[in-house]
Amino acid sequence: MRHIGILQLTQHLDDAVQGFKAGLTACGLTATFEYLCADGNAALLDSLALSLESRGVDLIFACSTPAAKAAKALTGDIPVVFTPVFDPVGAGLVAALDKPGGKVTGMAGMVAAPAKLAFIRQLLPEAKAVAVLYHCADPNSLLEVSHFTTAAEGLYHVIPLPVDQPQDLSLLGERLTVPIDALFLPIGKIIEENFATIAYYADLAAIPIIASSGANIQAGALGGLVADHYKLGWACAAQAVNILDGADPDSIPVGSVDKPDILLNNFAAHNLGIEFPSALAVTAKEIFE
Amino acid sequence: MLLSRQSVELLAPAGTWDSLEAAVAAGADAVYLGGKRFNMRLHRSDANFDDEKLARACEYAHAHGVKLYITVNNLVSERELPAMRSYLELLATIKPDSLLVQDLAMLQLVRQMGITIPLHSSVMMNIHNEAAVRTLQEYGVTRVVFNREMSLDQLALVRERTGIELEYFVHGDMCIAHSGQCLHSGVVFGQSSNRGRCLKPCRWPYELVDSSTGRTHCEPGPYKLAMNDMCLYRHLPQLIQSGVCSFKLEGRMRTADFVGRMVSLYRRAIDQYVADPSGYVTNEADWQNLQESRARDFTTCYAFGNPGAGAVGFSGTREPRFFSQAVKEAAMTTPAALPLLKSDRPSAKPVRPQLTVRVADLPSLLAAYQNGADIAYVGGEAFQPATPWSQEQIAAAVDLADQHNTALVVTTPRITTLRECGELEQLFACLAKLKPHGVMVSNIGALRLARSFTRLPVHSDFSFNLFNSAAACWLQSQGVVKATASLEASGEQIIDLAVSSPLPLEIIVHGPLEAMVMDYCLPKALAADSASTGLCRDTCSGGEYALKDSANQLHPVKIDQYCRNHVLLANDLCLLPHLAGLYAGGVSHYRIEGQHYTPSLVGQLTAAYRRELDRLSGQSGENFDPALLTAIAASSPRELGIGALRYRASR
Repeated sequence: MRHIGILQLTQHLDDAVQGFKAGLTACGLTATFEYLCADGNAALLDSLALSLESRGVDLIFACSTPAAKAAKALTGDIPVVFTPVFDPVGAGLVAALDKPGGKVTGMAGMVAAPAKLAFIRQLLPEAKAVAVLYHCADPNSLLEVSHFTTAAEGLYHVIPLPVDQPQDLSLLGERLTVPIDALFLPIGKIIEENFATIAYYADLAAIPIIASSGANIQAGALGGLVADHYKLGWACAAQAVNILDGADPDSIPVGSVDKPDILLNNFAAHNLGIEFPSALAVTAKEIFE
Repeated sequence: MLLSRQSVELLAPAGTWDSLEAAVAAGADAVYLGGKRFNMRLHRSDANFDDEKLARACEYAHAHGVKLYITVNNLVSERELPAMRSYLELLATIKPDSLLVQDLAMLQLVRQMGITIPLHSSVMMNIHNEAAVRTLQEYGVTRVVFNREMSLDQLALVRERTGIELEYFVHGDMCIAHSGQCLHSGVVFGQSSNRGRCLKPCRWPYELVDSSTGRTHCEPGPYKLAMNDMCLYRHLPQLIQSGVCSFKLEGRMRTADFVGRMVSLYRRAIDQYVADPSGYVTNEADWQNLQESRARDFTTCYAFGNPGAGAVGFSGTREPRFFSQAVKEAAMTTPAALPLLKSDRPSAKPVRPQLTVRVADLPSLLAAYQNGADIAYVGGEAFQPATPWSQEQIAAAVDLADQHNTALVVTTPRITTLRECGELEQLFACLAKLKPHGVMVSNIGALRLARSFTRLPVHSDFSFNLFNSAAACWLQSQGVVKATASLEASGEQIIDLAVSSPLPLEIIVHGPLEAMVMDYCLPKALAADSASTGLCRDTCSGGEYALKDSANQLHPVKIDQYCRNHVLLANDLCLLPHLAGLYAGGVSHYRIEGQHYTPSLVGQLTAAYRRELDRLSGQSGENFDPALLTAIAASSPRELGIGALRYRASR
């Protein structure tokens, strides 16, 4: 019987935990779990990681970048498997994706920018100008914006809409006056949390939203190509079993999202007078009503 | 009475199966949970129980000797009524130990369908007086989750008088506004806090502006309405001795780990107290554990009286997450989402649409009558600097109505606790000699008092959150003659209701809308000396307060004679250009909320709406005159907007 610590930033990532546990079971591994969640307060993660260490866990499954950093910062040698981490190298968790170089490995959560652009092309074939709304203080958002902008060169006119602080979203309406055919939301906590305000203004301006968070698509974005956290957790389970069987985390490359899910929202489509291309609709994992 | 293990029930939340197991394992006596439909926690698709899991959860709880309560505490739109009926049929087969309800329709449906599961009234029902409890008891309600604004002493008194079971939130996330009466999210975003989709405008940053002095209060921090988390862990003895039978932990969206830990801590404390009350001491290690794992800071809320500024987390640093930021509210240029009525639909148009006007004083009343009001409302809250209506003024108002061959209805406050109920009894009793044409009530307790103390026709106000015809049927069974629709209902939902309601339907078409009503007094909380002494220094008198949000909009804060603060939406409602669609849909009564306006504006508005309604009912051959709207906008103290009519459906 293994003893596994789960370090969680917010319960919104519990899909990954469920996938992880189910994956372990599928691998035939039985374990007891110590689940500690910071309920969104990242400042608590260091002490929660210490608490897991003191409980003598064999491995820590860390959900989110800050949780993975807190687990990695423990001075002991407890191996860490993480997901969803957008930029494991940039966050300093691993030296390189194919050779992590320490006690940490896992599954990256990034959906590649070219795939997202291809999705936009399929969903909104007429779109030319795509605005990108992002929080300037979020390194993950900045990285995705950079990837997205580079990949969109020659395909779309990209209009950056940076936000310094959440309250700036209150005046977003004034910034949606130039012709915008789609509003792309890269991943990022501030944008995801305050989606209702973004949707409010986008709805008034009849601009479709392409989101990176499944919750935002359910709440009214037109669609998005998103990483399935359950599947990422499942893939982490195989990595964890490998490590518990004696493999060195350094020898286990960081995995990535190979088949992101297509999520669509019919309520938003109806409001916008848009019909989903049938090729997209049939491949969508879920069409929210 | 001697205490036993059965004297106190520890009631835990369960949003997932894991939480359910954790709560049961940690020693909960009862758990509450919701299905995928009709409950108050609908933001996440991965939470709540599908039909099959509900049944399994019930079996699981009962197999472990734990009671299971199912939350059905959502407002139901007319189109959702058939689904609610079939859901109730399902729940009747699952046999939970109670259903937690908000919508008055549930009282009607459960009786109609012969369902015998006991009902518990949700905090969303805003129950805060004895008379309301007595009415609920007649409909199979065995337990009430009272308003969170009630103190333990007030609860003990109601319990002693009625014998009702008391359930009380002892730990978790709380609202700053009166539950079930907060319309901010519903009107602005089309996502109602009374339908499980609150976007938490109370967690936005605000400045408090006093336009009488030009002073802006930025201190002690921007989050002026952000209530801290309830925690009564250190006060369990008082709670138990006050007769509260069920200690409720908030948190259906929380993790199994959190739920399990909370249940364990409270279980231990309750058991220790029951085993040896006089020798009980707080377990400091457990208290430390609670403190260390808290999200927000703790408060005892209203358990021991109004907590004032001490209950608010002004800095926002401990806010676990935000749900939205302020937005510029819908304006007159915002497109309205009124349904296109089919031409073959039988005409539902009322013969002569009635124009009703609520006023603050006699000059406004005269202006309303002179300009075409059919019914006027006087009474209820008097917002500073206005004074409450005296009996003498009401008598003068009745005289004015008689002179103009119109009707005068005496209205009553929205929140009526012990003091207000005592005053209402006296008021109702004296109306026999004042002879107004009716009374309007704002909650089911006041409704009962009106029926007991007067023979006048009774009207129900918007605070009943009327969304469907089953609730209208219930109101009719209680003697109500005309009902006001919820301010959160969209155009489609209003028309559905107007067509099906057995009662004539009134909608509010013009005026400031109250986003929140609070017992928390902002001027007092922010006055330095009051914050330190807790004493009220009449800081509010003479001030003209408003909360400024991050979209640079001002939300006036109006203070009534009971010191309650009413936070208004930034834009005043104006549906003048949309009356045609509503009239065609069968709405018979149209109200102007004129109590915050000058007499001259009341007169101008009344004349404009009268003209439009007469035009629609064929009593004048004119076309809609856009100049009317321009003139109203020029006279209005605030920008105008279309409120919830922006949305196809209130979600």
